[in-house]
Amino acid sequence: MKLMKNCREVTGLTLQSLDRELSWQERLAVRLHMVICSACPKFARRAQFMRSAMGRWKSYSEQEKR
Amino acid sequence: MSDFARAVEQLRPQLMRFAQMQLKNEAWAEDAVSETLLAALERPQAFAGQSQLKTWLVGILKHKLIDQLRKHTREVSTTTADDEADLDEQLFAADGHWREAPKDWGDPEHCLRQADFFAVLEACVDKLPGVQGRLFMMREWLELDTDEICKELAITPTNLWVMLHRASLRLRDCLQLSWFAGAQA
Repeated sequence: MKLMKNCREVTGLTLQSLDRELSWQERLAVRLHMVICSACPKFARRAQFMRSAMGRWKSYSEQEKR
Repeated sequence: MSDFARAVEQLRPQLMRFAQMQLKNEAWAEDAVSETLLAALERPQAFAGQSQLKTWLVGILKHKLIDQLRKHTREVSTTTADDEADLDEQLFAADGHWREAPKDWGDPEHCLRQADFFAVLEACVDKLPGVQGRLFMMREWLELDTDEICKELAITPTNLWVMLHRASLRLRDCLQLSWFAGAQA
C-alpha cells in the first residue's frame, strides 16, 4: 500500500474513521498527509463537527417540547 | 377520547416528520406512524410514565420504521441518478487535490445552541437523495451499525461507504451554503 495518499483518498478515510477502526497503515497515511496539507485537517474538523451536530440534533428533536 | 389518546394523537405530526425523514416515502411513513399510534393506544399500561411520552413513542416508531425498511428493501436501496452523482468529481481535481480548499468554520460549537441551526440541518438532511438520506438516517438516527445496515438492505459495505461518503459531502456543502456562508467567513 502506498503511504502517500492524495486529498481525495484522505477525505474518504477521514469519513470512514468515524465508523470503523482504520488499519495502522491507513492511520499512518492519514497522519503523514495531514502534516503536509492545510485543507484536509479543516475537512477533518468539519467531519467531527457534523458528527456531534447530528448527535445534538437527535437529542434536541426527541425532547418533549420544541 | 381519553387524555392519553389525545396526548398521543397530538404527537402524530412530529412522528410523521421523523418517519418521512427516515423513509422518504409518505405512504410508508403513514403506515409506520399509524402502527406506532395503534401499538401505543392498545397498551397504554406499557407507558409507565418513567420516560416522556414523546421519547416512548419515538422508541416504538424506530422499530416500526425498521419493519418498513425491511418490507421495502428493494425500493429502499434502489438509487436514483441524483444518488449516483459523483461529488468527488466536483470537489477534487484529477490528481486528487481539492479544487477549492474547504472553508474554515472556525469554532462552530456555538451553532449547536441555536434552534435555527437545527432547522437548517434538518432541511439539509431532507434534501439528500433517497438512498443517501435513508442510509444516513439509519446510521445517525436509528443508530444501526454499518454491518446491520448492509444486512438489512442487502447491500455491500463498499456500496454503503460510497453512499454515506456522498451524503456527508452533500450535507457539508448544504450547511456551508445555507448557514456558514452568511454567518462567518
